[in-house]
Amino acid sequence: MVQTLRLLFLTLLFLSVSTPNTLAADPSGAEEEPVIDVMGTVLDHDYLKTPFGKIYLPRIFYWEDASGQTHLNAYGSTKKAEQSELFELAESGAIVPSGGGHILIDMSITSHLAFVWFSVIIVMIVTFIVAGKYKRGVGKETEPKGAFQNIFEILFEFIRDHVAKDNIPDHKYKRYVPYLFAVFTSIALMNLFGLLPWAATATADLTVTATLAAISFFVIQFSGTKDHWAHVFWFPGVPGWSRIILTPVEILGLFTKPFALAIRLFANMLSGKMMIIAILGLIFIFADLFGPVGGYGMAGFLAVPLTAAIYFLKAFVALLQAYVFTILTAVFIGMAAEDHEHDEEGYHVEHVAEAE
Amino acid sequence: MGLLAAGIGAGIVAIAAGLGIGMIGKAATESIARQPEASGDIRGAMLLTSVFIEGVALFCAVICALIIFLG
Repeated sequence: MVQTLRLLFLTLLFLSVSTPNTLAADPSGAEEEPVIDVMGTVLDHDYLKTPFGKIYLPRIFYWEDASGQTHLNAYGSTKKAEQSELFELAESGAIVPSGGGHILIDMSITSHLAFVWFSVIIVMIVTFIVAGKYKRGVGKETEPKGAFQNIFEILFEFIRDHVAKDNIPDHKYKRYVPYLFAVFTSIALMNLFGLLPWAATATADLTVTATLAAISFFVIQFSGTKDHWAHVFWFPGVPGWSRIILTPVEILGLFTKPFALAIRLFANMLSGKMMIIAILGLIFIFADLFGPVGGYGMAGFLAVPLTAAIYFLKAFVALLQAYVFTILTAVFIGMAAEDHEHDEEGYHVEHVAEAE
Repeated sequence: MGLLAAGIGAGIVAIAAGLGIGMIGKAATESIARQPEASGDIRGAMLLTSVFIEGVALFCAVICALIIFLG
């Protein structure tokens, strides 16, 4: 039991950071479904689950054959790729070129990627519809019309006033509102998709959160002022020798911020899923120990009500983590974009005296 | 031994993170009680600081997981 759990966590952790290539395919030999598909609910797949069956997603490979030539091949599904006889499934379930060589870049569309696209497309459509309304004057000259526009306006004003304006210097915040709003809504949607049956939580995948954090990293660094970089490489107002320690720490700090963003979102979303799996797993453990009565008792009195409670918690955490990701991005942008007027006391006093 | 180390580590992380978040909560509720009109700002600051602690705690949880898998 412990061994299986260890193996499970190990594969979970490492598959989540590796390319989709290693985990997207189902091993063709394992036709019989396991009792409870623990891995299946959290991992990335090459298919979308629907109530009517699986929809297989395209596989796109950029690969190198045994003679060192590179090719770009696209197939409708993993099965089609196998039928082409250029690829075969390895023992581990990963897809490999059958005549030797290896896949350089696996650009296959996986379920997590599909859900990223879903949420981004939904956000885009909603934003364009509401933007069109404002262009026609609804909401500008008159009051906003309908629940849809009102909710959108509340969300947007929340991001603008309480996330962007509060954390980013006044004359700069407007540039970042669209980015922050896009990040908030798309992460919130991705998180909330995870609550639906058959859907996948894209943010419970380290590749997705790492990509989001990398985008935030570039936004933060490109909004950096001269003062920001001066603080990183040549911290002002400290004894010279201490910069030997300070500069590496500051440079490291540039990378730990987005890294923490990625890990926080990933761990929070994954832990919600794992918690539900663990609690539902109790049913089977109890059924094993005490027979069907124990299983039913566990299901009725503890596991199912607890899972329902955790679902509410997950809905809350989904929105909270989207908010946290957004506000931390805003705080980091604010830190980088600040003109450090108040940092050097002398300058500040002079400045205040001038203003008066 | 690796399992033991990871377990103890996770426990210490939980204690430390709990202490930290508890202290933030204590300070926040006290300041809201003293100055109810600033409760919005205080709540924002409270959330932000507890998120930083959560980040550190999750780092440590990941390290504990790595000890189990690699040790």
